[in-house]
Amino acid sequence: MNELRQLARKLLADKTVGVVIGYEEGQGAVTRPSFATSPEQAEKLVFDARCVQNLASYLSPRRSTVRSLGKPAVVVKACDAKALAGLIREAQVKREDVVVISVACGGVLADPRSGKALSEAMVADRCRDCDGAHTSLADHKVGQAKAPAFGSPKVDARLAELQAMTAPQRFAFFKSVFSECTRCNVCREVCPMCFCARCMADKSEPQWIESSPHLRGNFAWHMLRAMHLAGRCVGCNECERACPAGIPLSLITRKMQKVVSERFGYSPSDDPNVPAPTGAFRLDDAQEFIR
Amino acid sequence: MTGLYTPYLMRVDEIIDETVDTRTLKLSFKDPKVAQSFSFVAGQFAEYSVFGSGECTFCIASSPTRKGYIECSFKKVGKVTSQMRELNVGDTMGIRGPYGNSFPLDKMKGKDVVFIAGGIGLAPVRCVIWNVLDLRKDFRDVTIIYGARSEADLVYRRELEDWKNRADVKLHVTVDPGGQGPAWQGEVGFVPSIVEKASPAASDAFAVVCGPPIMIKFTLPVLEKLGFAKDRIYTTLENRMKCGIGKCGRCNIGPVYVCKDGPVFSAAQLEKLPNEF
Amino acid sequence: MRKAFITQENLSVLSGDLERAGRKVVVPRPSATGRMEYGAAQSGSLTHLGGALPARSLKATFLPPTEALLRWKNAKDDVVLEPSEPKALPTVVLGARPCDAAALAILDKVMDWDYHDDPWFARRKATTIVSLACDGVDSSCFCTSVGLSPDTTKGSDVLLTAVDGGYLVEALSEKGEALLEENKTRFTAARGEAQAAERRKAATDKVRKNLAVDARTVKDWLGGNFEHPFFKLGSRCHACGACAAVCPTCHCFDIVDEPEGLEGGTRRRNWDTCQTSKFTLHGSGHNPRNDQHARLRQRVMHKFHIYSERFGETLCTGCGRCARACPGGMDLLEALREIDKLRRSSRPSAAPIVTPTNPPISGGAR
Repeated sequence: MNELRQLARKLLADKTVGVVIGYEEGQGAVTRPSFATSPEQAEKLVFDARCVQNLASYLSPRRSTVRSLGKPAVVVKACDAKALAGLIREAQVKREDVVVISVACGGVLADPRSGKALSEAMVADRCRDCDGAHTSLADHKVGQAKAPAFGSPKVDARLAELQAMTAPQRFAFFKSVFSECTRCNVCREVCPMCFCARCMADKSEPQWIESSPHLRGNFAWHMLRAMHLAGRCVGCNECERACPAGIPLSLITRKMQKVVSERFGYSPSDDPNVPAPTGAFRLDDAQEFIR
Repeated sequence: MTGLYTPYLMRVDEIIDETVDTRTLKLSFKDPKVAQSFSFVAGQFAEYSVFGSGECTFCIASSPTRKGYIECSFKKVGKVTSQMRELNVGDTMGIRGPYGNSFPLDKMKGKDVVFIAGGIGLAPVRCVIWNVLDLRKDFRDVTIIYGARSEADLVYRRELEDWKNRADVKLHVTVDPGGQGPAWQGEVGFVPSIVEKASPAASDAFAVVCGPPIMIKFTLPVLEKLGFAKDRIYTTLENRMKCGIGKCGRCNIGPVYVCKDGPVFSAAQLEKLPNEF
Repeated sequence: MRKAFITQENLSVLSGDLERAGRKVVVPRPSATGRMEYGAAQSGSLTHLGGALPARSLKATFLPPTEALLRWKNAKDDVVLEPSEPKALPTVVLGARPCDAAALAILDKVMDWDYHDDPWFARRKATTIVSLACDGVDSSCFCTSVGLSPDTTKGSDVLLTAVDGGYLVEALSEKGEALLEENKTRFTAARGEAQAAERRKAATDKVRKNLAVDARTVKDWLGGNFEHPFFKLGSRCHACGACAAVCPTCHCFDIVDEPEGLEGGTRRRNWDTCQTSKFTLHGSGHNPRNDQHARLRQRVMHKFHIYSERFGETLCTGCGRCARACPGGMDLLEALREIDKLRRSSRPSAAPIVTPTNPPISGGAR
């Protein structure tokens, strides 16, 4: 913690950056995003298993209030680094415009409000297949990286169950969970990769996607989102964490990730130079439609 | 069911192209009973619908003294206005209203009235102008100062001609510098400076101002300099609305609901509001 | 008003009785996604109603996330309109949280402001609300700061309090009396009153510890400090509107047309939120509320200044859902604490924002 604060203090004091985006104590037992703009404010930075938020979201070009704070340094976990790499890969953030502080993370809690300690039962699902290494994007590394020791992701077991269903059963399942959706668009707004200035779902001439939260509109929305994030979603799971309706969105994002991995041999990477399947063109592409 | 959100059906009777992107529709009520009973006062607005595209908020641009029909003037900017441009004579539209407050015509009686408008801002002002002209003897001097970016952007040209030829109206029409053609005979200059130049007497007068925010911003100090009291300068606001009846929460400016407390506000009222319009 | 007692078992039986009598029964129960949410009871399986607040409020029962306002049909050279009858089935809510019931009484004010919102009131009229004195208080609750309490009766027709062996039952309105009368065989004489009072006081004391601010007193400070730097709150806000989605009193809506083929379509009203830039964006591209600081200020203002100025009610029940749901860690309790501090340390502002008092003209032909 001291190491992190010292580093932040230095970056702010020598004006390397205008803001350090990290975590601070929130209300109650939780932590929350922090925007330290002075060396004094660096004193409030913390990092531990409660720091679930993906701070790369705040680097999205849509966050004008954050952009106005000046050049950012951002505290990233290994998983968040993939989102930052995505933003760099897709030309939303210039690598040289951000200072990356990689923190050693031994996994975060699925529900920090629970007040429970990190354990096999309490760990966020996405941490289960994380190698725990510092990102290669790091300008500064804080803490000793440690390999995680958790079982395999539970979402995979649930996907296997879904896969074993008949198509009508699967349809019934998605119908029931999508019936809870109120089209609040929280999943989109918290997503680091949903940075479009004007989302296709908000376009009205023509209106491709109905904005009403009936099943027709909800299916259209979640399918559109899945397609637009295929090969781009990094699996940070902020959408599922934030969904006011508790819709298991990771079932969709994880499935898309698997499809992309099988078809294109691509998994979310923290190297911005690794081409993403939807952002690169190859003459020897395995998919026929592109030739 | 009274159908609070159910519009009256209207027939498009006439289409008038004002400029390249601005159009006026003359609409009549399909239900003769509604045509009889529908009444409004100058300054009120309505929710116009094109079924399939949705609703859009405009003032009523015709005068309440002209019964049996209403007119709306609009610029093509979004989904609904694009579809409104596709309508032909005989097509059906909807209208909910009238909603909101009005210009204080009763207070204006027996006084001079100065109308100042820019661009399509003439639409809400035109409603009051005709209301005043139709009851001409109730008012004293009438001055109209109207400006647009260029000659091609002037709306209600036939009426401008009419007002120009009336002995009981002082009309000043202006275009922004560079907006005049070779045959232009009106003024050249921005509206605030033309107001200053025309210098209408303020001692016993009301002003009605409507136009782009930037025009209003620079015109108000000119009027105050000329001696207009802030509670005798009126304008109308167009915040985004959906319901028009104080429910949907969209049109707040500070504690004000534009749809219910407005759309007509005096400069004295505006001064006290936060800058969120 | 009468008091009675009902066992847990009889409450479950009552739920079945009500359904057989043609009423829809809404209770807190696990939703399709496994969260505790208000929804239709599953016949005969009513378990204890208490515990933590349902994840989302009760407002969807009265202001659905989407509802048809009218249908239009394209006829030859004409359009035919069919206003939608609101789906207002006779309903009983069993185990509403008192804060969620209070929200309905608060929202009645705006829904009846000159124009009577028929769909809202059709459902309000058709519904009897049986609340349960809250036994799920957590660290985000602050109902006592907005003049309510875990056992507030506002908006409820009947109040239940869990006591040993069942619930103390108190009728609060004619609707509540009628419910007890129609189902009197399920109730016995009132008992457990002392225990109920004790539990209710304990819950109230617990909430009081969370926020020692009377949120009704911040109104004037807010009115005079629109431009205060305090409102630079927007950095951690994602503009996602999760707060509005879970809020019992956020009621802003959108109206949209949805064509269904060429024959016609449906005009619907859908939930909306002031936290998105789209909400106030003009067709011209001008946006009066152009950054997230301004949009968050609007949320605070609407709840603690605008609504109370207009309707004499705070547009907040202190349920704390926004604080629990915010993915960025915004916390209304903290904001109120800060505002209260500023209020105490400031002199009355010289120029408070004044609401114009010119009386609006109500609709002409209607």
